[in-house]
This record gives sequence, structure tokens and C-alpha cells, in this order.
Amino acid sequence: MTAIAEARGPAAIAPQTGAVKLTMLLAGVVILLMMLFGLTMRAAQGGLIELEPALFYQIMTAHGAGMVGVAGLTGATILWYFTGRYVELLAGVYWAFLGLFLLGVVLILGAIFVGGYAGAWTFLFPLPAISGGLWTPGAAIVFLLGYVSIGVGFLLLHLEVGRKLIATYGGIGGALAWPVAFGNGRPEDAAPPAVVAAMASTIFNTLGIVVGAAVLVASIVNLAFPAFTVDALLAKNMIFFFGHVFINASIYMAVIAVYEIVPEYTGKPWKTTRMFAIAWTVVLLFVLAVYPHHLMQDWAMPGWAVAMGQIVSYFSAIPLIAVTAFSLLVYLRGAKSMRWDLASALLVLGVAGWTAGSVPAVLDGMIVVNKVMHNTQWVPGHFHTYLILGEVAMAFGFMAWLARRRDESLSGLPGAFFWAYVAGGTGFVVMFLISGAMSIPRRWAVHLPQWHLQAQIASAFAVLIILAATMFVLRYLMRLGKG
Amino acid sequence: MQTTVLALSLVLMAAVAWAFISAARAAGSGSVATNTESRRKWLIVGLAVVGVVVTALSLRPWPLAVGPTSAVVNVSGGQWYWEIDTDKVPLGKPVAFNVHTVDVNHGFGVMNDAGRLLFQVQAMPGYVNQVEYTFNTPGAYHVVCLEFCGVGHHDMATDFTVASN
Repeated sequence: MTAIAEARGPAAIAPQTGAVKLTMLLAGVVILLMMLFGLTMRAAQGGLIELEPALFYQIMTAHGAGMVGVAGLTGATILWYFTGRYVELLAGVYWAFLGLFLLGVVLILGAIFVGGYAGAWTFLFPLPAISGGLWTPGAAIVFLLGYVSIGVGFLLLHLEVGRKLIATYGGIGGALAWPVAFGNGRPEDAAPPAVVAAMASTIFNTLGIVVGAAVLVASIVNLAFPAFTVDALLAKNMIFFFGHVFINASIYMAVIAVYEIVPEYTGKPWKTTRMFAIAWTVVLLFVLAVYPHHLMQDWAMPGWAVAMGQIVSYFSAIPLIAVTAFSLLVYLRGAKSMRWDLASALLVLGVAGWTAGSVPAVLDGMIVVNKVMHNTQWVPGHFHTYLILGEVAMAFGFMAWLARRRDESLSGLPGAFFWAYVAGGTGFVVMFLISGAMSIPRRWAVHLPQWHLQAQIASAFAVLIILAATMFVLRYLMRLGKG
Repeated sequence: MQTTVLALSLVLMAAVAWAFISAARAAGSGSVATNTESRRKWLIVGLAVVGVVVTALSLRPWPLAVGPTSAVVNVSGGQWYWEIDTDKVPLGKPVAFNVHTVDVNHGFGVMNDAGRLLFQVQAMPGYVNQVEYTFNTPGAYHVVCLEFCGVGHHDMATDFTVASN
């Protein structure tokens, strides 16, 4: 803990550990279920199983909403847990967050598998209201209310974290370490890395969720009263702003686990430096400004906005590569000791996968590339890279750390699970990227015969990932049971 | 284009993997890093310079520009069909596609006979999106939907022919 935090009195050292452990268990089960959904879709695309298109698109909707949701859940849980080392957080807020999340999950699953909703996790206006007879407006409303419930929970969590950080660190600037970034502040007096990351993530995720809530409410009103319509371009901007910010926030929140846990394995603290503080402020701005790179094929968008999307998309990678990844590489090389176990290996993998995933994402963010790669399987190729090998790896690393034992190593079965996960994840995402380069569209329930082989190979890699992930979750569960 | 992008991606992703594997292997050695901040600054400067150059080269000429064209093709999308107002798309001349939708968002993607995506544009309610392309090879071209639009999304396809002059 830094001098400034110590001077302000100790906070709870392990806040709501029981709730956090329970959340990560639920998250692990949901991730496994979503992975099974993913395997089902790839197997269907490969002609290995037969799946009715309506059911395929329901599974696709559940997979998208579920994975984005669980990435947010695990990221926010990591943020909450480690922020609680520096400020005292209200336990009731966390329970409300978790309760609203679970309520949202029930509503979403009910809307999909009972109501037949299959409008994708992006609920692109006006698709929820124009289903072609597949689902009713009521099912779509229930689905969107599920999002609202989850969003309200996230807002409560962020408001609690935000107000405590602002109060403890002398305002937003203090919590973002601006005195060090832009003034003469001493690094040793600055907010710790976890606090800086938590403050920045809280700001951009709050803004993203508020915009998301606005378009959700507009869509719900449209479903209830079709005479009320929304401008489709405005709705698309709001949805992609919300979606982009939310999934990015999940990763930026999860990286807090790296700042807090890896030092336990090296004995060397992760410090807030001037470069670190500047990078997080840049990230804060870039995460909010980059979303137009999702709208490059919308000719009606202002040209400056699309150009900004390309430029910010590229420059967003610089803080990730030159600060987060570079710092971790230097940090590992400079550590006098390092102990590798499942937790530390998965956390480092998470930063590596996130960084690697930024490469195809940045290329897709160029207009000339986007014109021939957008909405092909290139897109799931890059986002699965920074989810499977990035955010989810960090979440599994956090789980392994929560259930750690003294003096463990990566040898034996944990090492085998880890490398199976790496191999399965790498093969799976590379098949998506190859498929994207071959112009195979994304989100198609039925694939042409010439595309079957790619999906079949991907299915084999998916099996490997699921086997490894199942072992991660079972190991965690057994250790929780033993205490 | 697609093959180049794939190759570049895989090479750079492999470089990232190599950097992490090397650092992981060296972890715990306590090797004293020299000029870390200087190397970081050069990395930032290098990435920024590449970014400026790539931005300038890739945005000029403006890749979404639609100039004066010799032919205009009107395209309408709906759940789950495409309507194209001509079956004669000229060869070797810029063609402007005016794309709109009668219901939800669709993605107007055009592939050549080998299944390679040539260009795309979104079809959005209330808007007419334009995209320009010059066909240099006569033959059959395939239209697919590239924005998820409901249960018939994957069936939303049609063809057109670019006739030789």
C-alpha cells in the first residue's frame, strides 16, 4: 500500500472475499456454458451436427450476451476486490450488483430460450422489433430489461467505487495520479496502479453504460409503442459506443489483477510512474473516442468520425504495447525471483493475448482493410484472441490465485491444463483469422461446404479449450470446498 | 489484400508471443535492464511515426469516396432478399451502388466468383449508403448479407453479372 493510502487509514484488506469467490465460481460455470455454445455453433458450421437456424441464432445471441456479460462480471469483480484493498467499500452494493446481474441473466435466458429472442447481443435497432415472426415484442422487451438490470448493477458498483476513490485520493485527478502525470507530484505519493486503473475504468464504463441505458430504454419504448421510432444511425452509434466501452472496460478492469497479484510472485511492487499515469489518462480518452471504427461501412457517418475511428484505433494500441505489455516484459526480466504457477502463468498469458489480439483488431480498424474484412470471421478472430487468451485468461488466473496453495508450481497437471488452454486458444482464434482472410462471413447458421473444414478444425481446438477450462473450474471448486 | 493482412497479423502476433515467452523464461534472473525508459520512448516514437505514415497513406485518397460515375445501381435489402435494379453492371468503369433497406440493418457484401469479398457497405433504415467499385473482370458476382438480420440472414443472397464490353 502506498504512503498516501496508509496515511488515510487501512481499508478492508480482503473485502467480501466470500462473495467474490462465489461470483468467480458462477462466472466459471457461465464461461464453460458459453464455450459449449461456441463449440456447438462451430460444429454446426462445420457440418458436424445439425442445428435449426432459429436455434443457432438463439445460441449465438446467448453466447454473445453471456460472454460479454461474464467478461464484465469478472472484470468488475477483480476491480471491486482489489480496490477494496485501498478504500472501504459497502458490501451491500456488491450484493446488489451480483443480484441484479443474476436477475438479468434469468431475464435474458428466458427471453432467448422461452421467448425465442434471437436478435444478437447487439440488439441493433430495429431488429428487436422486426423479427420476421421468430419472436414477439414481449420477448425482446424481456431481453432488453435483462440488460437494464445488469447495467443498473454495474452503475451501482461503479458509483460506490468512484465516490470512495474520489474521496480518498483528493478527487478524480488524484485517483488518476495526475499530479505525477502532469505536475510535480512524487511517484511514491501517487495513487497505486490498481486505483488508477479502477478510476479510469469506472469513468469510461459509467459513461458507456449510461449511453447504453438510453438506447435500451428507447428500444423498449419502440417495442411497446411502435409509433415511437429512433434514428437508426443514432441508435447504432449509441449501441456500439456502449458495446465497445463495456467490453474494453472488462479487460482494463481485469488487468488490475496483474498489477496486484504478479508482485506477490516476484516480491517486487508494481509502481505508478509518470508514464503509467499518462498512459491511463490517454486510455481513458481513447476508449471513449474509438468506437466509430465499428461504423466504417456506414457511409452516412461523417467522414471525420470514421477517420477518427481509424486513427484512434491505431494509437490506442500504443499505451497497451508500450506501457502495459512493455512494462510487464521489463518487470519480469528485472525480477530477482519469479514463481510460476497456474495463477501467475494465466495472468501473464492474459496480457500477452490481449496485446496479440490488438494486432488484427487494429488492422481491421483501417478503412481499406475493413472494407473487405468487416463482418467476416476476421472479427470474431480478433475479439476471441483478446477474450479467450486475454480477459478470460486473466479471470481464470484470478480464480486460481483465490484458491492458491503455498509453493505451488506449474509442473504436472496444472501445467498440462495451462498449455492445453494456450494451444487450444491459439488454434481456435487462428482458424477464425484464416477464415476471415478467406472472406467467410460471420454469424451464418449454415456454411457452404467449402467452409466446413475450417470450422471442423476450429471445433477440435474448441474441445481442447473446454477441457482445459473445465479443469480450471473443477480445481477451483474442489479447493473452495476444502477451504 | 486479405492474404497480406493475415500474413502481417500472424507475423506480428508471433513477435508478441516470442517477446512474452522470452521474458517469461528470463523472469527471476534479476537481469538489470539498461535504458528502459529510453527504449520505451523510442518504441512510442517508432509506433507513432508508423501510425502517422500508415494513416496518411491509407486515408489519401479517401477510401470511401464516391466520385462522378458512369453507372448507378440501386440496391434494396429486406428480410431476407436483395433487389438490384439492373442485371447489367458495366466493366472497367466506376459503378456507384446506392444501398438501402426496407426493414432492418443489412450488410451489402459483394464477392467474386472465387468467393473473395471485394467490398461492402451497410444498408441502414432511413439512409441510402453509397459505395463505389470498378469491376475489371467480367462474370458472375455474388451478393451476401454481412450484418445479422434475423433467422434468414445466411440465406440472403443473390447474384449479378458484369458483362464484357
